[in-house]
Amino acid sequence: MNTNHQARTRHLQAEELETLAIPGDHRLPARSSAHVADCERCRRDVEELQTLHALLQALAPLQPVVGFSDRVMQHVRLPLPWRVRVLQAVRKHQLATAAAFAGAAAAVGVGLTWIARYPELTPMTIAAFLVQRFTAFVWSGVMEVGRFVYGSGVLETAQGIAGQVTPVSAFVAVATVTLIGLASFRILLSLMEIDPALVTSHLRLRRRVRG
Amino acid sequence: MTGQTDQQRGYRAVSYKEHSDKDLVRLCLKSDERAARELVERFERPVFSLVYRMVRDRELAEDLTQEVFVRTFNNLQRYDRSYKFSSWLFKIAYNLTVDYLRKKQVKTISMHGSPDAVTPERQEATSLSLESDEESPDAMVEARELAGYLEDAIAQLRPEYRTAILLRHVEGRPYEEISDIMGVPLGTVKTYIFRARRELRDLLEDRWDEGDEE
Ligand SMILES: [Zn+2]
Repeated sequence: MNTNHQARTRHLQAEELETLAIPGDHRLPARSSAHVADCERCRRDVEELQTLHALLQALAPLQPVVGFSDRVMQHVRLPLPWRVRVLQAVRKHQLATAAAFAGAAAAVGVGLTWIARYPELTPMTIAAFLVQRFTAFVWSGVMEVGRFVYGSGVLETAQGIAGQVTPVSAFVAVATVTLIGLASFRILLSLMEIDPALVTSHLRLRRRVRG
Repeated sequence: MTGQTDQQRGYRAVSYKEHSDKDLVRLCLKSDERAARELVERFERPVFSLVYRMVRDRELAEDLTQEVFVRTFNNLQRYDRSYKFSSWLFKIAYNLTVDYLRKKQVKTISMHGSPDAVTPERQEATSLSLESDEESPDAMVEARELAGYLEDAIAQLRPEYRTAILLRHVEGRPYEEISDIMGVPLGTVKTYIFRARRELRDLLEDRWDEGDEE
């Protein structure tokens, strides 16, 4: 009874009028709609807003001249990927680039001259030296890791864990590996300058076209 | 083989039209011109409509609209993807047009063409084309007349009111978005729209009452 009385006395607020006058997603509470049915003033306000909205919606659609997009595209300059920017910079600063290349070539030349002073330094001996140092480096790394694993008791711990694998711990392990995998994929994409959102969007579109 | 090619062709044909605005922006950031063209074609009409109804000169509105797109693409790296692309575009359009109006101090504009138009041909070229399809000649004349009055009434509103009411009732933008576009609080947008409606109602009063009597 009280609600009914309120419905009869409270006029609609601006937002409520709009909800009634302009079709959209919003719906008005039954109470407010009931009020409009009874109230002459609110009904007139809604009708007025409906008329104004309809008039504005019916205004002639305006189009720019035919071929406008071509004209705009002639003036638009899009951001360039870094490779293109580098190439453009090279073209723009040809002198500086030439100087940099000359500097690099000179440095290599000096290095080669220095090597040439020692007859025992042939390409073969240099390569063998590099291979030997690299192998020793990797091997020492492997030995370090082995020594660490053995000394830290990680092996015993791992054996202990393997003895008590539960579904939860297995799930956590798989989830962690998956997350690391996805993160690596994302890093890979960013290194290749591909936006991950574009990949999903392309896949979605392809599915739609094929399906 | 042919099927595959057709499918691929189909994929390419739909891909730009089907992309969301934000995906197209991402492609533009990778220098994809077709994505930029799609964005221009998608938004040239609403942006031009808004700008035209602000300046009421076709040639000028086209120049300003072109400038809106050029600025948009030049500043694409600064676009904050938490906003709708269209809001950002309209924001640039609004700022550019209001700046222009402020500089030119264009106050009253006639529905019969731009105040900048100096020759009758130019006035004709800048005036509004009020088209109405499949109506009886009488109804068409009446609709043209009413639309003319309405366009004239809109032109008499303050630029802020004009923008707000056009975005709300012609472009159907929600209040929150209009607030983002115009860079004013939500309450201010509500006030603008409320006052714009009241002013339009007052400006159209005679026509309105005639309509009521019928
Ligand atoms: Zn009421």
